[in-house]
Amino acid sequence: MNVENRRYVIISFILFVGIIYLSRLFYMQVLDDSWSERAHQISEKRTEVTPPRAIIYDRNGLKIVGNKTYFNLMVIEEKMGDDFDTIGFAKLIGWEPRMITERFLEIVKGEGTYYNKYVGKKESNYQKTRPYPFLKEITKEEMVRIAPFLDSYPGFYEEETSMRYYPFPNGANILGYLSEVNQEEVSKDKFYKPSYNIGRAGIERIYEKQLRGSKGVHYIVRSAMNNEVKQYENGRYDTLAKPADPIHLGLDMVLQAYGETLMKNKKGCIVAIEPKTGEILSMVSAPSYDPNILVGRKSVSQFYPELLNNPDKPLYPRPTQAEYPPGSIFKLVQSLIGLQEGVLQENTSFPCNKALVGCHSHPIPSSVAKAVKFSCNPYYYYAVKKIIEQKKYANRFEDAEDGLNVWNQYMKSFGLGEKLNSDVYGLRAGLIPNSAYYDKWYGHRGWAFSTIRSIAIGQGEVKLTPLHMANLAAIIANKGWYYDPHFIKSPKKDFPIQIKKNQTMVESKHFPPVIDGMWRVVNESGGTAGLAKINGIDVCGKTGTVENYKGSVKQKNHSVFIAFAPMDNPKIAIAVFVENAGFGGTWAAPIASLMIEKYLNKKISNPAKEKRVLNAVLNNN
Amino acid sequence: MRKTNSLINNLDWPLLIGFLTLICFGLMTIYSVAFNEENPSIFSFSEKYGKQIIWIFLSLFFGGLVFLVDSDVYKKFALPIYLVTLGLLVLVLFMPPINGARAWLGVGSMGIQPAEFAKITTALLLAKYVSDLNLKLLSSYNVLIALIIIVIPMGLILLQPDAGTFVIFTAFFFVLYREGLTFDPFILKFINLLPKVKYKQTWIGSHFIPILFVLVFLSILTILLGHKNLGIIPGLPLYGSFGIIVSLFLISVAGILFIQRFGTKREKIKVRIIIVLSFIVGSACSYFVEYSFVHLADHQKDRIELFLGLKEDPNGKDYNRNRAMAAVGSGGFSGKGYKNASVSSVKTNHVPESETDFIFCPFAEEWGFLGGVVLLTIYLFIIIRILVIAERQRSSFNRIYAYSVGMFFFYHFSINIGMNIGFAPVIGIPLPFFSYGGSSMMSFSIMVFILLKLDSQRRHVLR
Repeated sequence: MNVENRRYVIISFILFVGIIYLSRLFYMQVLDDSWSERAHQISEKRTEVTPPRAIIYDRNGLKIVGNKTYFNLMVIEEKMGDDFDTIGFAKLIGWEPRMITERFLEIVKGEGTYYNKYVGKKESNYQKTRPYPFLKEITKEEMVRIAPFLDSYPGFYEEETSMRYYPFPNGANILGYLSEVNQEEVSKDKFYKPSYNIGRAGIERIYEKQLRGSKGVHYIVRSAMNNEVKQYENGRYDTLAKPADPIHLGLDMVLQAYGETLMKNKKGCIVAIEPKTGEILSMVSAPSYDPNILVGRKSVSQFYPELLNNPDKPLYPRPTQAEYPPGSIFKLVQSLIGLQEGVLQENTSFPCNKALVGCHSHPIPSSVAKAVKFSCNPYYYYAVKKIIEQKKYANRFEDAEDGLNVWNQYMKSFGLGEKLNSDVYGLRAGLIPNSAYYDKWYGHRGWAFSTIRSIAIGQGEVKLTPLHMANLAAIIANKGWYYDPHFIKSPKKDFPIQIKKNQTMVESKHFPPVIDGMWRVVNESGGTAGLAKINGIDVCGKTGTVENYKGSVKQKNHSVFIAFAPMDNPKIAIAVFVENAGFGGTWAAPIASLMIEKYLNKKISNPAKEKRVLNAVLNNN
Repeated sequence: MRKTNSLINNLDWPLLIGFLTLICFGLMTIYSVAFNEENPSIFSFSEKYGKQIIWIFLSLFFGGLVFLVDSDVYKKFALPIYLVTLGLLVLVLFMPPINGARAWLGVGSMGIQPAEFAKITTALLLAKYVSDLNLKLLSSYNVLIALIIIVIPMGLILLQPDAGTFVIFTAFFFVLYREGLTFDPFILKFINLLPKVKYKQTWIGSHFIPILFVLVFLSILTILLGHKNLGIIPGLPLYGSFGIIVSLFLISVAGILFIQRFGTKREKIKVRIIIVLSFIVGSACSYFVEYSFVHLADHQKDRIELFLGLKEDPNGKDYNRNRAMAAVGSGGFSGKGYKNASVSSVKTNHVPESETDFIFCPFAEEWGFLGGVVLLTIYLFIIIRILVIAERQRSSFNRIYAYSVGMFFFYHFSINIGMNIGFAPVIGIPLPFFSYGGSSMMSFSIMVFILLKLDSQRRHVLR
């Protein structure tokens, strides 16, 4: 055996290993990316910076939602040292010394854990080298007091954050509020991390994506001990947090504040719309609350239960969610449908037959305008009977079925009984019945006009939200068309709504008699809303007095008034609804007129009227 | 005139240059990894780079010292210095343990590891003993002595315990293989006990290195296939060693049928015996490996399973290897740039021991695949250069010693780099001339300088 040749065995083996190693290096370093990813995972820390939420302005450029600087007091346990003065520190932040220890335990069990999705439960990842918020949401004023002494407490330092701030204590029902995201929201949208805030209601919720801005990302090289060593590649991949562009609303915050003042000690709402644009000028829900009390977890946990349990339901957004029978204001739309259908003429006259339905004493309603002016109930009994029973079918029931469905189509074209296409949060549709609705109650062809006649005067099954009522005023002001009422001014492409113009089924030529009637309601003697008259402004309006029941017990009537002004060039359409305040002309009408005058003239010409409203206490029943 | 020139002319410059290049690369990498802004000078002796410079100069000094010694001295005094190192290896066992091992002799950072020097003295004594043997008339006594020379220091080192150096000592089997030393005297003693068998030599006794590789391959295969159905025979599930034994059996039968059909009569008998023997040895090995693997302690089993990729625990038991591979892999084609290692710098400390055992990590992270190719090429060049030097020696003493040095290099290289790229289990052995540390630097320098000296005087020696 030739041993000499064994050298080749050995050398080939060495070369073989060399080639294998080089190929392996090529594979690991050049072809396979997974090790690079692994390196990113273990050696880099990605920190996200959230920008402050976008600012919101009203139609006159007033800042109505801003941000305020707050501080979190952070702690790194490792840096605290052994001779930490717990008693001194507790004194500084106004705590009992034992609370300090308790808070540390709370951090270890709370912020110091994470949800391990592989195991499906919370696991601890508390590290002494990592910063945790010890105290959250310290105001600037408190921080100014604490900061000078922080040097003597190593391990503690302040970190700036921002929270919502509302310069006006008004419009809470419009703006909504923020609260902490839940587990589901975190898993649904990568933007959110636990402890982030998200818009819960109102504008804050609808425009969440437009308000939150884009996060900035910093990459930091971190050590195995989780210390930050330096910027990754000198910050080449870092991005800055970018706040979103401000949002401009059509809301008039001064008018809103005025409306809330007028509605003090009352229950109900005011909705004002600019008819030409559909922009909501004000949307008062009474009673309301200062939006600033729902900022930050401390405040939320203190005030939210209080608001929730208040019997007057301040958290309930009445303008969009309260569905009331509209009462007599409904006669306006009945008139319009009658005229369009040709069952009414401008000068159609019906007797005020109190045997059919109750009415008050007034002259004969010898035209549509007068019928509106007097708000004559029997007149509309006749008129709506003609709309519903057009004698197209021999069978009375079949005729009513067809008539009601035609009527329903008209109503829908006014946006009534429908959810409006809008950025108003939490809209309700109200109720405009059709034949199917009554079939359910009375059986197919089991009902005729006489069965459902209370809808003629806006009672019975019919229900509208105050927003629908204001929109009705706007439609009449525009003589037949409307934009869906909304808050945003000129929405951008990615916004959740686009504004759409809608045409009703009533031609514009049928509006003047109704408008004439509305003018007479306010401005002629014998009209139902003399209290809404304003010198120098042609206000057109219609009162309503809504019968209502709690269970089967009759309650005091709701007071309703819708109006627009000025008559020739309408700039504001308004609906006022005051719960259990009696006759429409007594409270709703003067409130509406004050709102109109405030908006158009910026001042009130009749301080006595204003004083009367301000002093009225109507919510103690 | 001829005398003064001889040193320069007879010195193997390629090896020396390769050696110096590695030292520079190593120092450069340590400077990057352990860089401290407070002591930016490379000569800051309080930092690891400054200390490494001291080690380099000490190594060159001692290297120069051994270079002055006449080459005959090494052979003459091989036994005494071997015995002295054995004494030190015993002495070190009474030292206080550092990091769980009693490997250090001396105080603090200036200690030395006798095990490192035992490599040299064992190589020298083995070279002396084997070179004096007549390999054609080998007795089992001779083989036993050769084995004892290797095994005694190995045993002492295992007591420290120092698994890394223990493994390195198996490099001597390559040397013995190259020399043609055979274990036949041993094996024949047993085989010839069988009736009617009278062999003069066996294939196994002299080709133990190739056989070793086949057996290692079979063992790994056995563990890898431990829980997998091989599916050789449809309908019959075959697992692990049982499957391998069946496969080996089928292959053997096929081999015998093949030789029956095509071979000559002489070949038939010879090959049949070889096949049967191989089958028996292979099956026994596979069965034994599986049996012992199942009966291993859990932590040892874990290690093997992690190494073979049968288990994953990147943040626990496989932490070191996982971090090391992430560092190497993230280097990419051209690396992150000098001083830009983010995973394996001492500051971030994701890769432990990144200036000693895992120093290949920062190098590969900073210089990427290109740097890796350069470094691996230099190591391969040096190893093969040493073997070339070995083969040109006239005396077998020189050759055996040179082979030992070459194989040490190869072992350190392949295991150290291997554990950085997931090809070798993590056992703590340094990368020669590259890793931070005095013992390794000095012992390898002395080892190389003795080789250079022997080589420069190779012509003086008569066969």
